Amino acid sequence: MIQREQAPPIFPLEKISFIEPHIFDITQSVKLYWMEAVKDETTRVELHFDAGTIRGDKKLASFVNSLLLSGTAEKTSTQIHEDLDGLGAFIDHEIAQEIAIVSLYCLRENVEAAMAILLNAIENVAFHPNEVSDLLRERKQHFLVSSEKVNILVRRAFQKQLFSNLPNYSRQLQLEDLEEVSIPDLKRFHNEFYLQGLTKVVVVGNLESAYIDRLIDAVGSWSKLAKPEFESEIVHIPGRLHVEKSDAVQTAIRMGIPLFNKKHTDFLDFQILQTILGDYFGSRLMSNIREDKGYTYGIGSGLAEANHMGYFIIATEVGKDVAEATLTEIRNEIEKLKTEPVPAEELGLVKNYILGQLLKSADGPNAMMDLFMAVQLHGKDFDFYNDAIRHVQQITPERLQQLANQYFDWDNFTIVTAGAQV
Amino acid sequence: MIQFERFTLENGLRVIFHQDTTTPLAVVNTLYDVGARDESPEKTGFAHLFEHLMFGGSVNIPDFDAPLQHAGGESNAFTSNDITNYYDILPAQNIETALWLESDRMLSLGFTPKSLETQRSVVIEEFKQRYLNQPYGDVWLKLRPLAYQVHPYRWATIGKEIKHIEDAQMEDVKAFFAKYYNPRNAILCIAGNFELEQVKTLVQKWYGDIPGGIRPGRMLPQEPVQRAYREETIERKVPSDAFYYAFKMPERKSMDYYVADMLSDALGRDKSSRLYASIQKEQKLVTEIHAYVTGSLDNGLLIVDGKLSPDVTFEQLHKALWKELDLIQAEMISETELNRLKNKIRTAKEFQEQGLLNRAMNLAYFELLGDADGINQEQFVYTAIQSEDIQKMANEILNPDNCSLLKVKAI
Repeated sequence: MIQREQAPPIFPLEKISFIEPHIFDITQSVKLYWMEAVKDETTRVELHFDAGTIRGDKKLASFVNSLLLSGTAEKTSTQIHEDLDGLGAFIDHEIAQEIAIVSLYCLRENVEAAMAILLNAIENVAFHPNEVSDLLRERKQHFLVSSEKVNILVRRAFQKQLFSNLPNYSRQLQLEDLEEVSIPDLKRFHNEFYLQGLTKVVVVGNLESAYIDRLIDAVGSWSKLAKPEFESEIVHIPGRLHVEKSDAVQTAIRMGIPLFNKKHTDFLDFQILQTILGDYFGSRLMSNIREDKGYTYGIGSGLAEANHMGYFIIATEVGKDVAEATLTEIRNEIEKLKTEPVPAEELGLVKNYILGQLLKSADGPNAMMDLFMAVQLHGKDFDFYNDAIRHVQQITPERLQQLANQYFDWDNFTIVTAGAQV
Repeated sequence: MIQFERFTLENGLRVIFHQDTTTPLAVVNTLYDVGARDESPEKTGFAHLFEHLMFGGSVNIPDFDAPLQHAGGESNAFTSNDITNYYDILPAQNIETALWLESDRMLSLGFTPKSLETQRSVVIEEFKQRYLNQPYGDVWLKLRPLAYQVHPYRWATIGKEIKHIEDAQMEDVKAFFAKYYNPRNAILCIAGNFELEQVKTLVQKWYGDIPGGIRPGRMLPQEPVQRAYREETIERKVPSDAFYYAFKMPERKSMDYYVADMLSDALGRDKSSRLYASIQKEQKLVTEIHAYVTGSLDNGLLIVDGKLSPDVTFEQLHKALWKELDLIQAEMISETELNRLKNKIRTAKEFQEQGLLNRAMNLAYFELLGDADGINQEQFVYTAIQSEDIQKMANEILNPDNCSLLKVKAI
C-alpha cells in the first residue's frame, strides 16, 4: 500500500537558464530587442512609444492611441483591418500612464507584409472627422458602462488620492471630455509622440536577420531623440475616502502607499513580504478573508512600478455588509507581520513558491522576453533574477518583520471604498 | 503537430502524455466528465460549488494548495456547463507532489463542514461579483432559459439563484462526489519533459489503487427543435440598451460545429467582420457588436450581441441585422473573405498552442470528444470548409424561428 499521508520529497530549484535577446541600436538611446529562439511559426513585434496618458492635454493620448488604425487618405479603417486580417494578423494597442504600445501578432511568413500595412496606417493616419466622432460615441458608452462598476469607481478615486501631486498621473476622463476633441490637437500629438516618439522595439520570432535590419530602417525615423522624462515622487493623501454607489451589493476596496521599483535595494525583499501578505492563493489575506471568513471571491496585493517610482496596493471586492470587517482584518494581518516573525514553515513554502513562479515566468521565448524587458526598463539585466533567487534563499523572518515595520503604517495608507454605505 | 501517447489504467482512468523536452515545467491536468448540465434543476450551481470544495482538503491530506505551493507550483480549475477541469503547473522535478495531491482528491475528499460553509460564502460572493454587481451581469441568467426550455443548458454554471447554493447540504456533496469523481469518469493529461515509461510508473503508483467506480450514465432531456421566434425584454438600470440574439447551432462533435464557428467569425469576430463594418462603422447603429459561439458539447448557441447607440431603437437594429443575415444566406462569401477567416484561425491556433497548459487542457478535452488527436485534425477541418458550406449553415440556423432575442432596456 502506498503511503498517502506522506508527501513526496521536494526538489529545490537548481537554476534558471536565461536566454539573452539580441540588442540592436536604432539610435543611441532607442534600441531593438530581438528574441530569436522561437521554435514555432509565431511572431510578436511591439512598438513602444513615449505616448502614455501623462503626455499631452486631457485625454488626447488615449484618443490618438485608439485612432491609430482609423484610416489614411487612401484607405478606410475597415480596409486596413481587412488587409491585416487577410494576413491573419492580430493587432493590439494598449496605453498606460508612461507608455503606449502597439503590438503585432502573426505567423512569421506574414510579418513583413503585416508590419508594412501597420506602419503605413500609423504613419499616415488622417484623423477623419467621422472616425473621431465614432470614437467619442463609443467611448462615451463604455465610460457610462464602466461607471456602473465599483471596481472602476474605486480605481479612479484611488488614482486621484495617490497621485495628488501629479495632475498628469491622476487625471480622469470626464464625460465632458467626450463631447468633442480638436482634430489639429490630435494631429499634433500624433506627430510629436508617435512619429517622433518611438522608444523601443521588441521582436520575438524566428526571423531572418535581414528583416530585422529592414525593420530598423522602416521605423528608425520615428525614434525619440531626447530621453523621455518621468516623475519620480508620489505625494499621496492618506486616510479614507468613500465613493457612494447605493445600489451596489458589493463594495470595492483599494488601498495603497507610494513605494519604489526595482531600482530600490529593498525591492526584492519587499516582494517576498508582500507575497506572504497578499500575492498568492495561499497568502494571509486570501487565507483569512476568503478561505476563513468567506467575505470575498478574491483579494490580492501587488507592487506597481513606473519608470522612476512605484506603489503598493491591496484590492478586493467584498459583500457590502462586511466591508468594514474586511478592513479590520487587513489591518490585523498587517499588524501581525509587524509584531510576529513569519513561521519557518510558511516562509519555506513561500520561498519555494516564488522560485517556482520565477521558473514559470521564464518558460518559453515570449515569457523570457517579458522577463528581460521588465528589468531592462530599470537598467538591469538577467543578473537581477539570479540576485532575486539569492534574496529568496537567504531572507529571514527578522528581515521581513523589519521591512513590515519600516514600510507599513496603517495611518499612512490611502484607503478608498466604492459601494453602498451600510 | 502535437505529439502524445495514451494509456488506460485497469481502473479505467484514461491518461494522455504529452512530451515537451524544452520546458522545465510540468502540467497535470484532470478533466472530470461532469458539468452544470448534469445537475438537477432543483440543485443548480452544484458542479461549480463542488469545484471549490475540491480545494478544501482530501481524505489523507488536510490542505490541497499549501503542499503544491511548497513544491513551487500553483493550481486552479474551472467549471463549464459540460466539464470540470483542474490543473496544476509546477517545476517538473516535483511532479509527484501534484500526482499525490490529485490522486488523493480523486480517491476521496475530506468533506469538512468548515470547507462547505466557507466555500458556500465564497461562491455567493462570486455570484454577486460576476452576475449581480456588474451592468448586464445577469444577462446569461435570463438568456439561457429563453433559448433552452428543456435542456439543462437553461441554467448557468453559477446556478439559477443564490438560494440553491445556500441550500446545499453535505449529503448532496458526498453523493455528487460518489457519482462523478472516479477514475472511470476522468481524463488525466500529463505534459512535460518526461519519458513515457516514467509517466506510466508514476501514474500507476498514485492512481492504480483507486477504485474505478461506475461511469455515470448521462440521460439529459433533449431540447426540442425550436420552431418559433422568442423574445423577451428586461428592464435594467444600465447606461444603454443591449441586445442578445441567440441562434441554436450544431453540437461540438459535429463537423458542422466548425462551419457555424466560422460563420460567427464572418459575422462578428474582428473589425473587418460584416456586422462590425456595416452596422457599427457604416450605419453607426451600435457602439459595439460581436458574434461568437458558446462551444458547448450539446447543441450550442451562435450569439450576436451588442449595445445600441443613443437614440437608436431596437427596431432599427433588428432591421439592419436581418438585412446582413439575409445577405450572408443569399450570397456566398468571397474567396478573399474565406481566406481571411482561415488565416485568423490559423494564427490564433499557433499562438494558443505555445503554452504547455493550453496543450495539456486541449488534449484532455479532445480526448473527451473522442480522440485527443482532434487537436491536430481541427486545422484540416477548418481548411476544408468552403464558401458554400458557410452559406448552407447560414440558411440552416440564421432564421427567426431558430432565434431567441433578449433585449435589455435601459431605464
